[in-house]
Amino acid sequence: MKSIRAASDIGGTFTDLVYYTVDEKNGLATNIKAVKVHTTPSEYQKGVMNSFDKANVNLSELAFFAHGSTVVINALTERKGVKTGLITTHGFRDILEIARGNRPDFFNLQYQKPTPFIPRYLRHEIKERMDYKGNVLTAIDVQDLYPILEAFKEEGVEAIAVCFLHSYINPKHEELVVSFINEIWPEVALVASHQISREWREYERTNTAALCAYVQPIAEKYLSKMQAALHEREFSGSFYVMQSNGGIDTVDSVKKTPISIVESGPASGVLGAAALGKLINENNIIAFDIGGTTAKCSLIDQGRVNITNQYMIEKDGFSAGYPVMTPVVDIVEIGNGGGSIGWVDEYGKMHVGPQSAGAFPGPVAYGNGGTEPTTTDANLMLGRINPNYFIGGEITADMKAVHDAFEQLGNKLSLTAMEAARGVIKLANHNMCNALKLISINKGYDPRDFALLAFGGGGSMHASTLAVELNIPKVIIPANASVFSAWGMLMSDLRRDYIRTQPVTFSIEHADSISNTLSAMQQEAMEAYQKEGIVKQDIYFEQLLEMRYSGQEHTVQVSVEGSEVSSEYLLKLKTDFNYEYNKKYTYELTNAIELVSYKVTAYAKVDRPSLAKITSTGNIDDAIKDIRKVDFDSAGILNTPIYNRDVLFAGATFSGPAIIEESGSTTVVLPHQQVLVDDYGNLHIEKEAVNHD
Amino acid sequence: MTKINSKKIDPITIEIIQSSMKAITDEMFITMRKTAMSSVIYEVLDFGVAMFDHHGQLASSGSGIPGFIGMLEPGVQSVMAKFDDSVVHQGDIFITNIPHKGGVSHLNDVVLILPVFFEGARIGWLANKAHWVDVGGAFPGSISAEATEIYQEGLQLPCIKVMEKGNINQAVVDIMQINSRQPEITLGDFWAGIASMRAGEKRFLGLAKKYGADTLSYAIADYIELAEKISRDALHRLPEGVYYASEVTDDELDIQVTITISKDEFLVDLTGNPPQQANALNASFDATMVDVQMIFKAIASPQTFANAGTFKPVRLLVDENSMFAAKYPSAMSVYYETSIMVFDLLWKALAAAVPESLPAGHYASICGTFLGGPHPDTGVALSIVEPQIGGWGASNSRDGVNALYTGYHGDTFNVPAEVSEQRNGIMIERMELNDESGGEGKLIGGKGIKLYYRILADNWWITMAYVRSCVGPWGMEGGLRGSHNYINVVKKDGKKTRFRICTALALNKGDVIEVFTANGGGYGNPNERPVQTVLQDIKNGYISAERAKEVYGIG
Repeated sequence: MKSIRAASDIGGTFTDLVYYTVDEKNGLATNIKAVKVHTTPSEYQKGVMNSFDKANVNLSELAFFAHGSTVVINALTERKGVKTGLITTHGFRDILEIARGNRPDFFNLQYQKPTPFIPRYLRHEIKERMDYKGNVLTAIDVQDLYPILEAFKEEGVEAIAVCFLHSYINPKHEELVVSFINEIWPEVALVASHQISREWREYERTNTAALCAYVQPIAEKYLSKMQAALHEREFSGSFYVMQSNGGIDTVDSVKKTPISIVESGPASGVLGAAALGKLINENNIIAFDIGGTTAKCSLIDQGRVNITNQYMIEKDGFSAGYPVMTPVVDIVEIGNGGGSIGWVDEYGKMHVGPQSAGAFPGPVAYGNGGTEPTTTDANLMLGRINPNYFIGGEITADMKAVHDAFEQLGNKLSLTAMEAARGVIKLANHNMCNALKLISINKGYDPRDFALLAFGGGGSMHASTLAVELNIPKVIIPANASVFSAWGMLMSDLRRDYIRTQPVTFSIEHADSISNTLSAMQQEAMEAYQKEGIVKQDIYFEQLLEMRYSGQEHTVQVSVEGSEVSSEYLLKLKTDFNYEYNKKYTYELTNAIELVSYKVTAYAKVDRPSLAKITSTGNIDDAIKDIRKVDFDSAGILNTPIYNRDVLFAGATFSGPAIIEESGSTTVVLPHQQVLVDDYGNLHIEKEAVNHD
Repeated sequence: MTKINSKKIDPITIEIIQSSMKAITDEMFITMRKTAMSSVIYEVLDFGVAMFDHHGQLASSGSGIPGFIGMLEPGVQSVMAKFDDSVVHQGDIFITNIPHKGGVSHLNDVVLILPVFFEGARIGWLANKAHWVDVGGAFPGSISAEATEIYQEGLQLPCIKVMEKGNINQAVVDIMQINSRQPEITLGDFWAGIASMRAGEKRFLGLAKKYGADTLSYAIADYIELAEKISRDALHRLPEGVYYASEVTDDELDIQVTITISKDEFLVDLTGNPPQQANALNASFDATMVDVQMIFKAIASPQTFANAGTFKPVRLLVDENSMFAAKYPSAMSVYYETSIMVFDLLWKALAAAVPESLPAGHYASICGTFLGGPHPDTGVALSIVEPQIGGWGASNSRDGVNALYTGYHGDTFNVPAEVSEQRNGIMIERMELNDESGGEGKLIGGKGIKLYYRILADNWWITMAYVRSCVGPWGMEGGLRGSHNYINVVKKDGKKTRFRICTALALNKGDVIEVFTANGGGYGNPNERPVQTVLQDIKNGYISAERAKEVYGIG
């Protein structure tokens, strides 16, 4: 009987495997376990097989396997894709090189523009043209493709991207090119822009098609190897791949347009947060993940994960980067993690990050020769991390080196070592706070309506302080916090996002055409799933409309129930739009409203057992393993009980100050905060109820 | 100001406040961008936001383009000069746009200014300046090189209260509305400006509440001092000397500059230049000062923040009534072409001295292109305000960058053809790299663009004024000059006319505007460009085989 479900997340250093067994008697998911093995860069599937070995999982017993991988983003950033050619509309072959003409590093007159992934001699034009309504102005003659394909063959091109102007509204010409090339040159990898995106902006769509084609053969080969490795071990369950949109999809679908998995790792953590929220009845969540070099956060509103279609790679203050128009969970990421270095600049200003000590030499406490103090070192200095139970007791922290490092840092500012360590924590918290504001307050959300769900190695160390700073009433530290991303994949349904730009004035006379577009998009999604053998009852949808005041550029999203927009309902949606707009920008206008894009998300349910609850009996005193002095900054240095998380039970409750230790992470609870352990072992930290307040 | 004991304020708190100030102006910037009604604001980023200390000194700015960083301080100063403290209240908003009197640029750039009060005292100011698509006057879009007095260029808003103690002055709003050819967009952008300042005010007050007004004021002063220190240190590292450059303009005027870099001053001497012109190619003293600030920042410390302290070592000398410091009521709607001319001249003077910071000349024209007419589907009148992207010069280590906005711009985005066609009802026939010759050298200038607009309805018009239309961007060390900025108007009957300046030229259905922007200047003798590189240029179509033979003797 196949009773095991597993998910694997391949990171730069470690490959995580999370798995559980479905109890034959009660049908509940029990005994969630995780193992970590080293990532095997040249042959990623080997690392995954090693993790199964380490976990002692027999693949013939595996019912469900979900997989997240950095293969696509790595191929892009390391420029390890294949030689790719572009076919585009006459007059537009330079679109990849012209891009948008922007120079973010704007005082710098030696700015360098990002180099296009496809050089000019491999970019070919063909005579064809649509207008913005989708009417054909110049019909395409596919015979014109012969010389282009000849030129590509001569140059050893292995992949072709096709993007025509206005194909988002009428993809006919792209479809003709695809079927023609498939017939006469079936071996070549081929990606047309409309297969990935039905949104306007020709540079972004062309670049997306180009990047997708560039990595397609690499990703396909990789996934096939993974399938073969699984097959060899007699795996016969379902195999899914984690996408950037916070859902999984079938391997065959991902192989065609693998750009959809470009940002799958961070997405699965956010998805896990949404899934956990559903389980414990928390619909409004700020998901917060602190890793070694960065912190990432994303907001979940009424159970819905926010998706962006303006994802960029290699973009920062110094470079315009490359746009990828594929749905990606909207995540704000900053260069502040456990390994971020505290330093003082030539003008006596202290900063934390974005430089990181990385995995090697790592924090000073590792004793691997690191001399620059990190956030993790500061947490050790303050007694928040236990020097004798550092990384689950794997190493003893080199506290003398840590102290020396902070003394040196402090000397630059006439601060004591302890003050310098507190400074590092304050600045790191400030940076994280700004990131959290960007996704909440700046977007019109009130943090008081949310719970902060913190995971990753460092999330639980900073969350309780950040919550106080932002007036967030509750912090949740999930069980398995350090492998939460992989856990998220186990909780996922199949998800496909369909987005279409089709601008129309949002008025009653267009109600029918709006309904028709929504139904057509649902129909398309339904047919695609059904073709793959998914039954209709398992398919469900979410609809969003992107709207704005006529004349504006930026849109505000409004949620729609069902696909039928009656005149009455349309008026209500107008009110909803004004409400959402006002919430974000503090005013509304009487101007006409324009609907720009339709977003339909199609889910297919994956059969999933419920989670088993943890034991509800125990004595809280048994969980206290130690009492030690911990520095709580302005609240003072306090004698603090240290709890062993593994001994906590459902319903257990205790007050701060407290430290909760487990092998992968440490949770800090401030004075006047209260902890409650829920039925699944998650920690809920809230402000202590006080009468005199 | 009350100087409090700095020993009591720990350096960590100061750092946190200063980084929060950056977050304030960033938030103002984002709010403006998301709420604006016109693409000249949300894509072209022709706007800036800033916060000031209570003396009206620039403390932090949010801007996508460097040209807007130094533009707001004169506006705040003009409010402080005109209004006594006793009549400046919480809830007031001031509005001004006259370039000679604190507005800096041209009438289209309207400045909104908000005093910030905490516990009854004014702790600072916020300001917002954005290009409004039409402020009335004799010409659509309120821009024309042919204007001779400011009265022809639109509505003047002479530093007045548009809001007093939280109440809108509807009379002023009505006047603004009736004077614009695009009243809906104009008022939308006005409200967007207010929304952005209110977002900033909330955060500003949040900081005061959290840290106290004294600590906040100390942190702001410290931030301005820090910026000055960074600039002075950078000045010490720059090569001391006297640097000179001259150019001839398209109007055959000789312009020249002498820059003296010493250990304690960056002195720009623009005396001896042509007098103010009888057209709109004049710039105010304040606008010319922005040029000086920008070039100083570019060579001193381009990758750090800027505030009032940054520009303290800078000094500008210029004759009264010169075209670079024109007096009221001279016309100024095309000031930006004059300003970029000055910027380019300063750049040229310094390029050989600091080649690591400055490449050869770029296309050096905003190439502001103003088109308008009825949308073919709806008949609704619309206007397009678009600067163009162009070629940048080669440097001593690499070829020039292709198709990038000017040094005056920054994180400015062009409008995608797909969006423009739907929004404006025109057709973008091509958008590609300029294949004209020019800019060859050991290292070649970057390519400008070739952009064709086809007009799809009758009764359209175009206004434009491009400089570097007769004299191409300068090369360095033997590199050739680049090509020219211009347009061709191709009438339906095939008749083609080249323009560098035109005002409200009539266009009809079927006419095509061909925009060409210059290729940047080259660096080094063309004979030194390696054969393999030239062959690769030919393969990529960056140069024709004939031209390669002509210039490089290869192919």
